[in-house]
Amino acid sequence: MGPNLLANYGEAVSAILFCIGFTNLLLQTNLIKKIIGLNIMDSAIYLFLAEKGYIAGRAAPIVVDGVTSVEAYINPIPSGLVLTGIVVSVSVTALMLSLTIRLYLRYHTLDLDEISMQLKREGK
Amino acid sequence: MDFICNFPFFSILISLFSGTICSVLPAKAAKAVNRLVIAAVGLMSAVLLLYLLSTGESFIYWMGHFPAPWGNEIRAGVLEAGMALFFCVIMYLSMAGGAHKLPDEVVESKHSLYYILVNLLLSSLLALVYTNDMFTAYVFVEINTISACGLIMIRQVGRTIEAAVRYMIMSLLGSGLLLFGLCIMYDLTGHLLMSNIKESVALIMANGEYQIPLIVAVALMCIGLCIKSALFPFHAWLPDAYGYSTVSSAAILSSLVSKGYIFLLIKIIYRVIGFDIFNSTRIIDVLFVFGLMGMIFGSLSAIKENDIRRMIAFSSVAQIGYIYMGFGMGTQAGMVASIFHILSHAATKSLLFIAAIGLTDVSGGSRKFIDLTGAAYRNKWAGVAFTAGSLSMVGIPLFSGFISKLLFAQAAVQVEGKMLASLIVLGISTVLNAVYFMKTVIRIYTSEQDAPYKSITFRDRKAYTVVLVCSILLNVILGVSSQPVVDMIGQGLAMFA
Amino acid sequence: MYLILSSIFFPILAGLFLLIRYRTPLSGEKRAIDRKALTTLTGIFLLITAALVIAALLHAEEGFTLFYLTKTLPIYFRIDSVGRLFSMLAVIVLPCAGFFSFEYMKHEERESRYYGFYLLAFGVLNALCSAGNLITFYLFFELLTMTSMPLVLHSCSREAVMAGLKYLFYSLCGAYAALFGIYFLYQNCDSLAFTADGALRASSIVEHGGFLLVTAFVMLLGFGVKAGMFPMHAWLPTAHPVAPAPASAVLSAVIVKAGVLAIIRVLGMFGRDFLRGTWVQSVWISLTLVTVFMGSLLAYREPVLKKRLAYSTVSQLSYILFGLAVMQETAFTGALCHVLAHGFIKASLFLCAGAIIYKTGKTRVGELRGIGKEMPLTMWCFTIASLGLIGIPPTGGFVSKWYLALGSLKSGLPVFDVLGPVILLVSALLTAGYLLPPVIHGFFPGADYDYGSLQNKEPCRLMTVPIFILTTASVFIGLFPDSVSGIIAAAFTGR
Repeated sequence: MGPNLLANYGEAVSAILFCIGFTNLLLQTNLIKKIIGLNIMDSAIYLFLAEKGYIAGRAAPIVVDGVTSVEAYINPIPSGLVLTGIVVSVSVTALMLSLTIRLYLRYHTLDLDEISMQLKREGK
Repeated sequence: MDFICNFPFFSILISLFSGTICSVLPAKAAKAVNRLVIAAVGLMSAVLLLYLLSTGESFIYWMGHFPAPWGNEIRAGVLEAGMALFFCVIMYLSMAGGAHKLPDEVVESKHSLYYILVNLLLSSLLALVYTNDMFTAYVFVEINTISACGLIMIRQVGRTIEAAVRYMIMSLLGSGLLLFGLCIMYDLTGHLLMSNIKESVALIMANGEYQIPLIVAVALMCIGLCIKSALFPFHAWLPDAYGYSTVSSAAILSSLVSKGYIFLLIKIIYRVIGFDIFNSTRIIDVLFVFGLMGMIFGSLSAIKENDIRRMIAFSSVAQIGYIYMGFGMGTQAGMVASIFHILSHAATKSLLFIAAIGLTDVSGGSRKFIDLTGAAYRNKWAGVAFTAGSLSMVGIPLFSGFISKLLFAQAAVQVEGKMLASLIVLGISTVLNAVYFMKTVIRIYTSEQDAPYKSITFRDRKAYTVVLVCSILLNVILGVSSQPVVDMIGQGLAMFA
Repeated sequence: MYLILSSIFFPILAGLFLLIRYRTPLSGEKRAIDRKALTTLTGIFLLITAALVIAALLHAEEGFTLFYLTKTLPIYFRIDSVGRLFSMLAVIVLPCAGFFSFEYMKHEERESRYYGFYLLAFGVLNALCSAGNLITFYLFFELLTMTSMPLVLHSCSREAVMAGLKYLFYSLCGAYAALFGIYFLYQNCDSLAFTADGALRASSIVEHGGFLLVTAFVMLLGFGVKAGMFPMHAWLPTAHPVAPAPASAVLSAVIVKAGVLAIIRVLGMFGRDFLRGTWVQSVWISLTLVTVFMGSLLAYREPVLKKRLAYSTVSQLSYILFGLAVMQETAFTGALCHVLAHGFIKASLFLCAGAIIYKTGKTRVGELRGIGKEMPLTMWCFTIASLGLIGIPPTGGFVSKWYLALGSLKSGLPVFDVLGPVILLVSALLTAGYLLPPVIHGFFPGADYDYGSLQNKEPCRLMTVPIFILTTASVFIGLFPDSVSGIIAAAFTGR
């Protein structure tokens, strides 16, 4: 267990980061902190993917100097996945932020529980 | 390869692009385009279904002609085509049934935006149904989430925005877990295409190495999709989201969006992990227990509710519990029952939401039970439709709900250890369902002489009434001649393997 | 085939027609005209239905499958002797009570809804009697609950709605317990078509014998809810007082008998030989005897007339169930005889109570002093019917109770063979105790009664004639028991 964990420290770190992000997204009541948690969670996954795609001693999969041998580059698919993932996460973050702005303009607070209380008081 | 094989790809594509086109069209044209697209996709799915039934085997469609394991693939079998057809039918009924309320609910200038979201939702649902690639599935899960969130908050009141935020948070938690599980799966197997992953998973199980990470990955994906489909402890967002959004949104969200995720889960179980391997894990027991709890607690919350739409929303929690209970049984029969219940619940829940709006319309827009007294006399068709939906939910013979309960019970009888628990909970849940649905039905048929509200007749709302009648018919057809549907589900599951 | 189908679907369609025809309440003269049209229409529908049922009964037919619910579950109809017997009961009681309600419901709101559901219930009952397998039976059993519930809560007062809901939940719980059993039977039988001598596979009996006994017990309890068997009898006394009197009559005389019919079917499916001598039989007999005794006792202590009659129904139904539980031919004859006798008698009693409420508004037994002088014909019918229920010859109740006691003594069961008749006798005494006081006080109000205030309150013919017919029918069974003995003998063997 120990040596394995040490050898795969990148994955371990990403798993820990994922947990941190997940708990933040779940338990924080402040909306901005929740969104930060979301970003930590997503980034942790990208770190994991990048770690998986990386092969020690090789270069990024961009053809330079006409070297086309497969042996020269790391696995490109995880990088592609990370790129796609970043696009998704950016759009989701943007949507969340815009929703947050709406809520803030309406209720003048970023605290989700507080907003729920106000809604209950409104009674509809 | 026949021309028909292009249909899955076409249907995803036209719904995706029509969304973009809708953004520049005026509201009326956008509505027409939206209806046309749903109808066209439904038609294509129907043709595809017939084609697949006649050939008897599924096909794989290479996107951009890259062969596996590099290319992206679409796969169509009987179950996929059937689901797509059914989703289109329900979506068309929901849109047509809620159309007359849209001007009241959504600001005029945003109507075309509404249709964009619906088209996007349709395309993402279709993609979830057809895709053979895990990462594509993830991307479309997110598109689905975003468009569903838009559908919730397009009606701009405080509640819906809050509900949308809560929905987004839960969904993001779910998709985060799904993505992480997916990445671990990719790490273990080195593939993203479902069929290739399945081969590798079988190898891993045979070798006996890396079993724990594999189970972890499967569990992460399952929990992620459970959260997204509002399985019992993760349902907090659901009542507000369904209860306060527009009618069509509520009907679509409850009957389609959560079902899209559940269908993806079925695909993962069959096509990625393998049914037998999945059943040998403890995950099914967890799903089973949470399904049972959802059946009871969802109904209990619905009984306490004093708002008709939130009550229907809570009933969805219970019904999703049924579906997961079927998964949890770990048999083919349980799976067939669950898939039938997906259909039956989608047909019934959209009917109930649409009928409920007809009842609240004639009660001064109030959704409190006290104001609904006698509403069924003021809007007769809505009353009849609500009664039919309720009977189906309670599981009265001749309606679709009875068949799904019958299938669940037959499946339960075959599983030694889980038989008693599932039958008893099924019984309790049936009775609880009867409590709140019959309470409502009696309430709306209790006459009140001096109600200050206007009544609505068939002539006022022709389209709406036609939709109600169609939905009732759909329910009865599913209830009376269920055998072809069940056969089709069985055939589709056989194609999955 | 077409006769059976039309006897089922004609009343259902007619009922739906009446329901759809609903209009906003009219007032004054218009209302009277509208009402006349409605009652005439309903009357015609009832008569046509009755004619169709009788035609279907006389015309012996083969069974037929309507359609398949799932691949192995056909919706199958076949009239056998048991079904014929219950049909006979329904076809006499329902039109009588229906005509009675034309007068009784005069001042009620939303009559159209009442008649609509009344006809629906009629159709469903016909279907129930001609159902040929368990799944068809279950389907219509549920529908019967659904269509009879609106009759119970017709007045839509708070109590009525609560009573209706209580009825619904008891019935649904019972029906679900029964459905639970059907699933197991489905696993262990070759087909769910009714028989009288057991449909279980021999191999299943060997393998899952114990479990099948539990299943049988659960099914008996489940269907027993409808038949008001202890411990699930509480819905009956709640539902009856709030329902309109003709609805109570139908409920008590026919609809609860659906539970009895269900139990006969279940017994047939499991086979008497399978259940005889097992713990299921002992527990079941004990439950029925407890119900017989307890129902009579509760009725004895109950001051409200309709509620008293409801408790009496609880008690009398368990007479029938006792006869079935003994699983012996003579007792079976007694039970089926009592189905008819009790049906006619109880319908007549409830209609009498309804006539009294309609004319005088009196609901409590204590208020009925001198009523016999005011409504002689009604009270004479009440008296004759009461004597029948107590079991005094030559009424229907005597014959059935005689056979019940005889069968029980012949059965050779330990303890119960003597205990049964004893409890039946005690209960008969209690029956006399709770039914005769209204009669005695009604006809002999005592010396201090103010005879000057008497008025003739006899209701109109629409009310008295149905009561008279039902009372006559109950006496007829007592005088000519041979008229039904053939069909009962056929029922025992399952033809």
